[in-house]
Amino acid sequence: MILITGGRYQGKLDYARSRFGLTDADIQVCGEDTSAVDLSRRCIARLDLYALNRVRAGAEPAEELLADIDRLRDKVLITTDISCGVVPIDATLRAWREACGRMNNALAARADEVWRLFCGLPQQLK
Amino acid sequence: MSTFISGGCKNGKSFYAQRIAQQGGRPLYYIATMIPHDDEDQARIRRHRQERAGWGFETLECGRDILSCLDRADPRGSFLLDSVTALLSNEMFAPEGIHSDAHLALADDLAEFVRRAPNTVLVSDYIYSDATLYDELTEAYRAALAHIDRRLARCCDNVIEVVSGQILLHKGVLPL
Repeated sequence: MILITGGRYQGKLDYARSRFGLTDADIQVCGEDTSAVDLSRRCIARLDLYALNRVRAGAEPAEELLADIDRLRDKVLITTDISCGVVPIDATLRAWREACGRMNNALAARADEVWRLFCGLPQQLK
Repeated sequence: MSTFISGGCKNGKSFYAQRIAQQGGRPLYYIATMIPHDDEDQARIRRHRQERAGWGFETLECGRDILSCLDRADPRGSFLLDSVTALLSNEMFAPEGIHSDAHLALADDLAEFVRRAPNTVLVSDYIYSDATLYDELTEAYRAALAHIDRRLARCCDNVIEVVSGQILLHKGVLPL
């Protein structure tokens, strides 16, 4: 399992595409309406928005993903680091920020490699 | 040698950038990018001037059309451009209206600037890791700045992240 993290627009998906030769058909790009990850794809991107969907539904994204962890072992997972701003006033966004942190940590702990993209440049954290 | 620096607000980017620029040769130029709009901006400019006093910088005022300041300077000198963020804001939210694709020309201009004036230090702001759902315009600004950051990270010799005053090298060598 490869986890790629970093801020918005830092080139995470571009890095995954070029390193693993991914095409659009290989990638699930999650949106706010994504309630489940698509385990038929090689790469799942914007896990932060999947997490937002789960938080709004009252669920815990880390728990849901860990329940299927064996089927994530061969995946490239991409998440956005949203942990470095001011604590949001909105309660849902506050819960989202914390749920994302738990999800990212849980995935990073189980990943074979963890990468962080900074201005398009990859840095291996694990 | 060109150096691109980014990182969070008040982490020590400008101080580190000033030190690098000062070792880059002479003449030593500070490109002042902020166009003041109110008393708060004027106070910030006064504070920045005081912080730079004694460093030996010649100030070049240039809030827009960044290549034009090379007409007034020796390109063999050492330049500190602080900040890319302000330049984008000036070009994107111009008095004559919003230029939503201003980042494309600005990225080209900054790459050309570094080509012509290779001893340049550029400072940007890392505004990509907060838990907020922004309006369309703010989101466009973030994407536009990231476009420029990534271009500069490709064309500069060194890429550095400053975190709590600590220096993290992403590309090249540490200038000091």
